[in-house]
Amino acid sequence: MTDHKAILAERFLGGLNRRDLMKGLAAGGVVMAAGGLARPAHAAGNEIKLAWVDHIDTLDPHFTGFLGAVKVHNNIYNGLLKVTYDGKKVGFVPDLAESWDITDGVIHTFKLRPNVKFHDGTPCDAEAVKWNVERVWKGEPKSPHGWKFKSLEKVEVVDPLTVKLTFKQPYAFLPVALTGSTGRAGTIVSPAAVQKFGASFGRNPVGTGPFKFVSWKENDSILLEKNPDYFEAGLPKLDKVTILIMKEASSAIAAVMSGQVDGMSDSPVQFIPQLKANPNLQVFGEIEGNYVYIAMNCRKAPFDDINLRRAVAFALNREQIIKQAFFGQGIPAYTPISPPMTDFYDPNVAKTGRGQRFDLAKAKEFRAKAKVQDVIEPKFMVTEEGTYGSRLAQTVLPMLAEIGIKPKLELVERAAWVSRRNAGDFEMLDFNWWADLDPDETLFPEFHTGAAWNYPGWSNKRFDECVEQAQVILDVAQRKALYEEASDIIMDEAPIAITSHMPVFKIFAKKVKGFNYIPVDSLNLHTVTVS
Amino acid sequence: MAWFVSKKILQTLMVLLIVSIASFALLKFAPGDPVQLMLGSEYSAEAHASLVKQLGLDRPIPEQYARWLAGFLSGDWGTSFVSKAPIFRYAFLEALPVTLTLAASALGLAIVIGVPLGVLSATRKDTGWDAAVATLTLTGTSFPSFYLGILLIWLFGVQLGWFPTLGFVAPWDDLWGGIVHMTLPAITLSTYFLAMIVRLTRANLIEQLEQPYVAAARARGEPRWRVVWVHGLRNVMLPLVTILGLQLGALLQGAVLTETVFSLPGVGQMMTSAVLNREYGVVQAGVMMTACLFVLTNLLVDLAYPFLDPRLRPR
Repeated sequence: MTDHKAILAERFLGGLNRRDLMKGLAAGGVVMAAGGLARPAHAAGNEIKLAWVDHIDTLDPHFTGFLGAVKVHNNIYNGLLKVTYDGKKVGFVPDLAESWDITDGVIHTFKLRPNVKFHDGTPCDAEAVKWNVERVWKGEPKSPHGWKFKSLEKVEVVDPLTVKLTFKQPYAFLPVALTGSTGRAGTIVSPAAVQKFGASFGRNPVGTGPFKFVSWKENDSILLEKNPDYFEAGLPKLDKVTILIMKEASSAIAAVMSGQVDGMSDSPVQFIPQLKANPNLQVFGEIEGNYVYIAMNCRKAPFDDINLRRAVAFALNREQIIKQAFFGQGIPAYTPISPPMTDFYDPNVAKTGRGQRFDLAKAKEFRAKAKVQDVIEPKFMVTEEGTYGSRLAQTVLPMLAEIGIKPKLELVERAAWVSRRNAGDFEMLDFNWWADLDPDETLFPEFHTGAAWNYPGWSNKRFDECVEQAQVILDVAQRKALYEEASDIIMDEAPIAITSHMPVFKIFAKKVKGFNYIPVDSLNLHTVTVS
Repeated sequence: MAWFVSKKILQTLMVLLIVSIASFALLKFAPGDPVQLMLGSEYSAEAHASLVKQLGLDRPIPEQYARWLAGFLSGDWGTSFVSKAPIFRYAFLEALPVTLTLAASALGLAIVIGVPLGVLSATRKDTGWDAAVATLTLTGTSFPSFYLGILLIWLFGVQLGWFPTLGFVAPWDDLWGGIVHMTLPAITLSTYFLAMIVRLTRANLIEQLEQPYVAAARARGEPRWRVVWVHGLRNVMLPLVTILGLQLGALLQGAVLTETVFSLPGVGQMMTSAVLNREYGVVQAGVMMTACLFVLTNLLVDLAYPFLDPRLRPR
C-alpha cells in the first residue's frame, strides 16, 4: 500500500522550499535568454553515459521478458555460467562457479567461487544458489522462465560451496538456460534482498556483478556504480554507468552524434550507414542468433493449404527484402538455425539446396497446385511499433502479387497486435526472434505442437519427435542431424516464410575502449574504459 | 452564494467522476492485454494466468473500477504493474513537475515573445513588419512540433552543439542547467501558441485601437505607447486569457510529442507508455491529474476576469 503522505513529506524535507519554486518559475520565464554558451556536460573520465533505446521492463532477471533489460542485468548480476566469444565460436564457461562437472549426463555439480558477496553484503553460497534455482523452478509468483527447469528433479546443497542439480534426463539446453537467452534462469540474485523488497525487487536489484544498482527514475534514467568488491580482480574499470532511457531512436542518434552520450544499446537498421560513416563512432554488430519471418496461420483458410504456403515461401526475393526493408543489413536465412550456433549452423547452407529460398518458377508451380486458383486477398496484420514497422510487409507485397496473392495490410496498435498474435487471430503477420544460442530454443517453443510461441498453429508429428529427442541427447553430432531433419520439415511445410538473419548493433564513441562483443545482444561493461 | 459555490463544486466532481469512468472503460474495452505485453517474449498460458491473478485482473471490471476509485479517494493511487513503484510518486511527484515546467516555460516564452510581436504587427498594420511577423507565425503553426523538435536537435544539438538535446534537469536543483535543458523543448512546444497569441493580439488590438476611448485618450494628450500598451492591451488580455485557458488541452497534447522527442520524463511520456502497455492505474492517475488541471485552469481564468476587467468586479 502506498503511503503518499510519507513520500510527500520526504520530498518536501528534501529541500523544496518557496525560494526554489520561485527559481523554477523564473526559469520558465527567462528560458529564452540562454545563449549559445551551454556546452553539454560530458561524462568525465571514469564514467559512461549510454542511450538505451530498447525496453527495460524489470531488473529482476527471473521475471523479465525483454532483451533491453537482460543487457542491464548482465552488469548487475552473475550467472552460474556465462557466454564467451572468441570472434568465431560461442562458448559456455563457469561464472560464479569455479568448476562445473556433469555425471551420467544428468547430475550437474557446481563448485562455487569462495568469498563472493552480494552487493548487500550477504554471502553468495550454495544455499543462495539453491534458493535461486527453486525460485525460478517452482516459486510463487511463477517465473516465466520456469519452463527452462521443467526436467529438473532436485537441487541439493552438498557443502557451503557446492551445489548439485539433478535432472530426470539429460538436458542439452541447460548451458543456455543458465546463461544466454532472454532472462537467465541461472542468474543469481540476493535472497535477502528479494525477501526485503518483495514485488519491488525488480526496481531494487541486488546481485554479485561488477556494478551496483543506485537508482531508477521512471522514463528517465538508471544509475549504476562500481562494485569495489567484485570477484574478478581489477574489474570493473568504470566508476559510474548512466543509462538514459530514450524511446525515440532519432533523438538517441542525435545525442550520440553530438557526443552527449558515449553510446547506444542498439540502433534501428536504417541509421547504421550514417552511424558507420561518422568518424567519432564505432559500430559493433555481427549476425546474431535470430531470424525474421512471415507467419501464415495454418489453422484456417487460406493458409491451411500447404501448397499456398510453399508458394509464398519460394516467392520471396530475400536479397531484395534485405536491400529494401532492412537497408542492406542482414543475410538470407534458409532455415531458422542461425550462424552463432556454431555447432549446428552450416555456413554453406546456401549451396546445399536445403530450406527455403527465392525461386519464382517453383513458387508458381506450388501456386498452381493450391486449392484456390483465383486471386487471394489475405489480411496481413502489421504494427508500426515492432522492430521493422510495416516495412517488411510493404516490401513483400509486389513479390506475392506475382503469384496471385494480394495481401491487405491491416495496421494494428501494438497491444492489440500482441493479443491477436497470441490468440492466433490473424492470417499473416511478420515477426522475429532474437538472441537464440541453441536450436532447442529456436525450434521447440516456436514450432512444437501446442507450444507457447507456435503462433502459426502448425503441427507435425515427426518434427515433434525430432525436437523432443534432441533435447535429451548430449552428443552434438546426433543433435545436429535431428535439428537438420526438423528444420527441413518446417521449411518444407512452411508455416513461416523465413527471410533473414540480422546483425544486432552496439554503438560507442571512439573514446570508449575495451568493449568485448558477444553475439547474444549483450552489453557487458565490466572491461570498458572511457579515455 | 454558498449554494452557487457548492453547486459548482458538485458539478466539477461529477465531471471528474465521469471522466474517470470513461477513461477506465475505454482502456478496458480497447483490444490488448497488459499481462501479455508484460511477459514480452516469455509468454505462456501458465505464466499469464499466474500474473493475471497476482494483479487482480481476473476480477469483474466494475469491481476493478470500484477498487481503484476507493483507493484513489483514500490517497492510495496503487502500484504500477510494470515498475512496481507507487503511482503517486511516479505520476504526481516525478512526472507532473516535469510537464508543468515544460508547459509553463513554453507558455511563458510564447507570451513574452508573442504579445510584443502582436502589438508590433497591429500598430504597423499592412507594413513589411506585419508581413514578416505573419510569415514567421504561419511557419510556426504549420510546423508539426515533433519535426521542428528534431530539426532543432539537429541544428543546435548536433551541428552547433549549443544545447543538450535530452533529459530533464530540475531548475530548482540547478537553475542554469534547467534553463539550458529546457530551451529547445520550450521553443518546440511554444511555436503553436506563439502564433496564436500573435494573431489574437493583433486582431483584437486593431479592433480596440479603433474604439472611441482610444481617440479620447490620444486627444487628452496621452503618449502613443501608453495608449497602446496600457489602454489597448488591457482590453486584449480578456479574450487572450480565455482562449489560452481553453487551449490547455492542445498544450498538454503538444507536450506528449515534445517529451518523446527530447526524452523528458513527464506526464506525456508516462501516459503514452501507460496506454501502450495498458497500465490502467497509471493512465487513470494521468487522466485525473490532467482533468484536475483543466478544472483548475478554468477556475483561474474565471477568477482572472474581475482582475482584468473592473466592470466584472462585484459591486
